[in-house]
Amino acid sequence: MPEWLKVVLDNLPALLKGAVSTLQLTSLSVLIGLAIGTFVGMGRLSRHRAFRYPASIYVEFIRGTPLLVQLFLVYFGLPELGLRFDRFTAAVVTLGINSGAYVAEIVRAGIQSVPRGQYEAARSLGMTHGQAMLYVILPQAFRNILPALGNEFIALTKESSLATVIGTVELMRSAQYIVSRTFLSFPVYGGVALIYFLITFTLSRLVRFAESRLRV
Amino acid sequence: MREIILKIEDLHKFYGKLHVLKGINLEVAKGEVISIIGPSGGGKSTLLRCINLLEDYQRGKILFKGEPIAHKNVNRIRTQIGMVFQQFNLFPHLTVLENLTLAPLKVKRMPKDVAYEKAKALLERVGLLDKIHEKPANLSGGQQQRVAIARALMMDPELMLFDEPTSALDPELVKEVLDVIRDLVRSGMTTIIVTHEMRFAREISDKVVFLDDGKIVEVGSPEKIFTQPDNPRTREFLRHFLSV
Ligand SMILES: Nc1ncnc2c1ncn2[C@@H]1O[C@H](COP(=O)(O)OP(=O)(O)O)[C@@H](O)[C@H]1O
Ligand SMILES: [Mg+2]
Repeated sequence: MPEWLKVVLDNLPALLKGAVSTLQLTSLSVLIGLAIGTFVGMGRLSRHRAFRYPASIYVEFIRGTPLLVQLFLVYFGLPELGLRFDRFTAAVVTLGINSGAYVAEIVRAGIQSVPRGQYEAARSLGMTHGQAMLYVILPQAFRNILPALGNEFIALTKESSLATVIGTVELMRSAQYIVSRTFLSFPVYGGVALIYFLITFTLSRLVRFAESRLRV
Repeated sequence: MREIILKIEDLHKFYGKLHVLKGINLEVAKGEVISIIGPSGGGKSTLLRCINLLEDYQRGKILFKGEPIAHKNVNRIRTQIGMVFQQFNLFPHLTVLENLTLAPLKVKRMPKDVAYEKAKALLERVGLLDKIHEKPANLSGGQQQRVAIARALMMDPELMLFDEPTSALDPELVKEVLDVIRDLVRSGMTTIIVTHEMRFAREISDKVVFLDDGKIVEVGSPEKIFTQPDNPRTREFLRHFLSV
């Protein structure tokens, strides 16, 4: 067995542990992103400026600044204001807030893709705005935007590797440890690339499957 | 004298600078059937939509059973005013049954079994009991519109609004929908219907309203409006309309 393969295999458990961390990090961030994005997406379409303006500012600001800077801001900056997170939480919070802006735009497009008559029919039956959104508009919107949300999940999986810079232990960080001990960059980072690819490829297949199941 | 269910006083509606309703006055008594006819763009849909406040208006008053309709009571009042749209607007992600029971369950907090029985009875009435578990996409336009009517009736409305309920239908599907509406009207439902089905309007209405350019140009019995209208514009419209 060549030396590099032995090194990769010996360190495989550590890499897989890193992969699990990446999945946890990404999943939690996606959930936060979805929650934020749903409300902000609705906020952007609100009749009330008090919802619309803050929602727009949030989306524009997040999309207009690098994720790297956002990570530094949360992990190194916020403690100066008395808000301290551990590395993992800081990464989840930052990625969640970051993703929320992109999800918001997707949700907004999804809501707009539902014909206006659906909302009016719901309201004409006496439903409140919230009920109409919850039972009529959002289910249809999410069905329409499922592929886009899947892509966002995939993008986030890849971007989560940036959390390395604040020391969050995930797949990329695990790989760096291994490389610093073994000096075998190519096989280790190659293996890491392969693991990322397997995750995103599986995700895209899952999304496609869900899509076909949800079709009317 | 019969109770006045709906009273519209000096209603004005603007879309930006466009003056769409120019002082509408209308009274609807309990059990009365009113047809609104008139050229496209005259404001018929807008008038119906103002009644249940799907559109805001700038001047005037609309009273439902004596109570002004406003944003703070509109959800309650809407449960008493059924609306049927030209495009049906069934909820495509829900089955026929779920379309019917959603609002009763969520808005009226009707027990599930009661809602289910009621839905079955209404689907029976519109002749679609066998479609109860279908998705709207699997129904014809006429069937969808009949489901939409049943959905509105689930709330036990005291007033029904129809906005060109058959205009989006293929000609051969018009009759089945008109039959359902006729049946409903005969059962005593107070109804306002915007329609281009002149023969049907003449048959079912107590009163026909000719609305043109945001104004009620003429109101009268169907006999009067369809045979000897006073206003030249009504005459012109009907001549043009009945000749095509
Ligand atoms: N959402 C809207 N925004 C601007 N103008 C509108 C809107 N809806 C309707 N209008 C205008 O209002 C007028 C009346 O429309 P409508 O009530 O739909 O007429 P009808 O139902 O009699 O055909 C038309 O000139 C139409 O272009
Ligand atoms: Mg119209």
